[in-house]
Amino acid sequence: MTGPVVSIEGLSIDYVVGAGRFRAVSDVSLTIEQGQVVGIVGETGCGKSTLAQAIPRLLPEPPATIGGGSIEFQGVDLVQVPKWKMPLIRGTGISMIFQEPLNSLNPAFRIYDQIAEAVRIRRARESGDRVADDRAPPPFDYARGPAPEAGDALLRPLVPAGAAAAVHRRRIGRDERLHADVLEYLRLVRINDPETILGLYPHELSGGMRQRVMIAMALSERPALLIADEPTSALDVTIQAQVLTLMKELIEEVRTSILFISHDLGVIAETADVLGVMYAGKLVEFGPVGEVFEHPRHPYTKALLRAAPTRYKADGPLTSIAGSVPNLARPPTGCRFHPRCPLAQPVCSAEPAPPLRAAAGRADHRSACHFADDVGRIP
Amino acid sequence: MTTAPLVEAIHLEKHFPLPRTARESIVGAPRRAIHAVDDVSFTILPGETVGLIGESGSGKTTLGWLIARLHEATGGSLRFAGEDILALHGAALRRWRRNAQIVFQDPVGSLDPRLKVWQIVGEPIRAQGEHDRGVVRSRVRELLPTVGLPPDCLDQYPHEFSGGGRQRLSLARALSVDPRLIVLDEPTSALDVAVQAQILNRLVELQRERPVAYLLITHNVAAVRYAADRVAVMYLGRIVELGGVRSVLETPLHPYTKALLAAVPVADARRRRTRFRIGGDVPSLIDPPPGCRFAPRCPFVIDRCRAEYPPLREIPESPGQWVACHRAEEVRTVRPAELLSVGEAAPAAAPPTP
Repeated sequence: MTGPVVSIEGLSIDYVVGAGRFRAVSDVSLTIEQGQVVGIVGETGCGKSTLAQAIPRLLPEPPATIGGGSIEFQGVDLVQVPKWKMPLIRGTGISMIFQEPLNSLNPAFRIYDQIAEAVRIRRARESGDRVADDRAPPPFDYARGPAPEAGDALLRPLVPAGAAAAVHRRRIGRDERLHADVLEYLRLVRINDPETILGLYPHELSGGMRQRVMIAMALSERPALLIADEPTSALDVTIQAQVLTLMKELIEEVRTSILFISHDLGVIAETADVLGVMYAGKLVEFGPVGEVFEHPRHPYTKALLRAAPTRYKADGPLTSIAGSVPNLARPPTGCRFHPRCPLAQPVCSAEPAPPLRAAAGRADHRSACHFADDVGRIP
Repeated sequence: MTTAPLVEAIHLEKHFPLPRTARESIVGAPRRAIHAVDDVSFTILPGETVGLIGESGSGKTTLGWLIARLHEATGGSLRFAGEDILALHGAALRRWRRNAQIVFQDPVGSLDPRLKVWQIVGEPIRAQGEHDRGVVRSRVRELLPTVGLPPDCLDQYPHEFSGGGRQRLSLARALSVDPRLIVLDEPTSALDVAVQAQILNRLVELQRERPVAYLLITHNVAAVRYAADRVAVMYLGRIVELGGVRSVLETPLHPYTKALLAAVPVADARRRRTRFRIGGDVPSLIDPPPGCRFAPRCPFVIDRCRAEYPPLREIPESPGQWVACHRAEEVRTVRPAELLSVGEAAPAAAPPTP
C-alpha cells in the first residue's frame, strides 16, 4: 500500500487585485489516494477551480499568490518548485481536462499533432531524452527529490511554427510508432474512425468529440493524477452522459487518480468515490460520496442537496438557501456560513468554524461545523 | 373544459437560408437552408406554463423567438388570442408586443450596462407610449418588490447585481407591461442551484398572483419538472413529444425523451449503475433527410423511420400525450433501464460533417 498521490495541507490562495486581497481558497487540506476519484462541489466563486488550477501551478501568479500550505505530490512539495520547472511535472505527473475543450485545443493544429506532442513529451521523459536533443540528461525520478534542471528543449514548443512546420509534420507523419500510439489513445476514448479524426482541426469536431480528444491527450501522458475541471458542463445532457460513461470506464481501465470538479451534484454522484464540499473558499465537508449524500454533516451540504429541484409544482415550493454567497474580500466573522445557517448559534459568529472533524464511528467522514450532529435534525 | 388557447402555432416553420457556394450558383443548385424549426404545432393556454426542453441546436430558442415575434416565420401560422400575429406590422405590432415579453438567456448581455435600473425596467413602459419620467419611475418602484428586489435600487447599474439579481431585473422588465405571455429563454441556466430555486419559486408565485402564461425554454429537466404544467420535447427542429409534465417525465413514450431523461445525472449515489446512453452526436440541420430525425441514433429504428416522418399523434393509452414515433406503442412498454442493452448496439457515432 503506497501513500496518497497528492496530499494538500493547509493550502491558502489569495488574489491580490489593486489594494484588495481576496482569499479564494483558505486553509484547505485533503488527500487523494491511489486510484481514487475525489469530487469537489460548490457554487460559483467558492474556490473550486482555483484549487484545481493551483495543484499543477497553472494559476497566473500574480494576481494569484499562494498564501501558505503545501501540496505534496509524489514526495515533492509543488509549492516550493520554481514555476519554470513545473513543465517537468505537468503532463507526466499531473494532467488536466478543462471545461471548454475548444479553448484548450490549439485551433491551428490538427488533432494528430496535438496528441502526438503529448505522446512525444512523455516518451522523451520516460527514456530520459531531451526532445530534439541528443545530450541525454539523467532520467527524471520524482521519488529522488527535487526536479532536475530543465533543459530548455522541454520548454520549447515541440511543433514548430512557420515553414519548419511542413518539414516537421512530414517527419512525424512518417514516425509509425508515434502514429500507432496516437491511434491507440483515440481508440481508448472510443472514437470511431480515428484515422479520419487525426487529420481534422478542432473546429471540425463536435463538443463531445473535442472533449474526448482532450481526455485522450491527458491520458496519453499516463498521469499519476488527472484533474478534471467541469469536464462535462459545456456539453449537452446526452453527450454529457456519453462522456461520463466513458470516464467511468476509463477509471476502471487506467486506474489513475482523479480530482473531479463540478457544480452539478448529479455528475459528482455518478463518478466520485469521495466528495468534498466547498463554501466561500473553505472545505466544509469531506467524506465517502454515499455517506455525504445520505447523512450530510454540514448545514451547507444539506441545503445544497435540498435545493436541487426534484419535485412538481403541486408539491410545494422548492427549498432555496436564504441570503447570498459572502464577498470574499470581507468574509463574515466566525463560520462563513453562519449568516445563512438554520443552526447558527452565537458561537458560530464569535469563533471560527472548527477544523474538519470526524463523525463518531466514521473516521473518513469529516465536517467543519460546531453542530455537525444536529444537521440530521434540519427539516 | 375547452378554453380558447392563448397561443396557437400551426405548422410553424423557420428556415435560415445559407449563402450559396460558387459551385452551387454556377450549376444553379437550390439554395440550402438550416431547418431550425420545422412543422411545429402546439398551443399555450392562458395562465399555464409550457416547458420546452431539448439539447442545444434543437431549435427551442428559435421557436421561443418566433412566438415572441423576434424572428419572422418562413411558414405556417401563429395566432395569439385568436388574432393572426404574423400579419401584424408597424404600430399594430408594437402595440401587440405588450402582450408577449421575453426574458433572455444571458443575464449580462441582455441588460445595457450604461442604463440604470429604472431605465432598463421601464423601457417597455416607455415603448408602449408612457414618457413621463416620474410615472415610469414610480411604476418601476412598485414592480421591483414583486421580483424580490429592493425598491430603492432604481438608480443602480446592472453590474452592481449578482447573476440572480440580473435575472430578476430581466424578469421585472418583462413584467412591466403586464404581458399575457412571457417567453423565458433558459432563465436559470447561468445560475447556481440555490439561486435557481429562488427564481423558480418566484416565477411560480407570480403566476398565482396574475394571469400570465410562460413558455419555459430550458435544457434543465429539473426546472421544467417543477415549473411547467405541460412539456414539449424538441429534437432537431421538431416537437417529438408533448403532454402533461407528469406523464411525459414519468412515462416518456418517444425513444429520444427516454434517452434524454435517462441521461440526466441524478444526485443520488446509490443509483449510479442504471444508465441508458444513446450513441452518436446530434446531426446537422442543413437540409435534413426525410423521415424521423432521431432515426440515426435510435435503438428502435426500422426502415419506415428513415423514409417517412412520423406525425405527432395522441396515444390512446395515454390521453393528452402526443408523440411523433411510428413505434410508440411498442416502445411505450420498455423501461429506460431495459434499453441499456439495446443502446449499446446502437449505430456508432457518425463522423461529423466537415
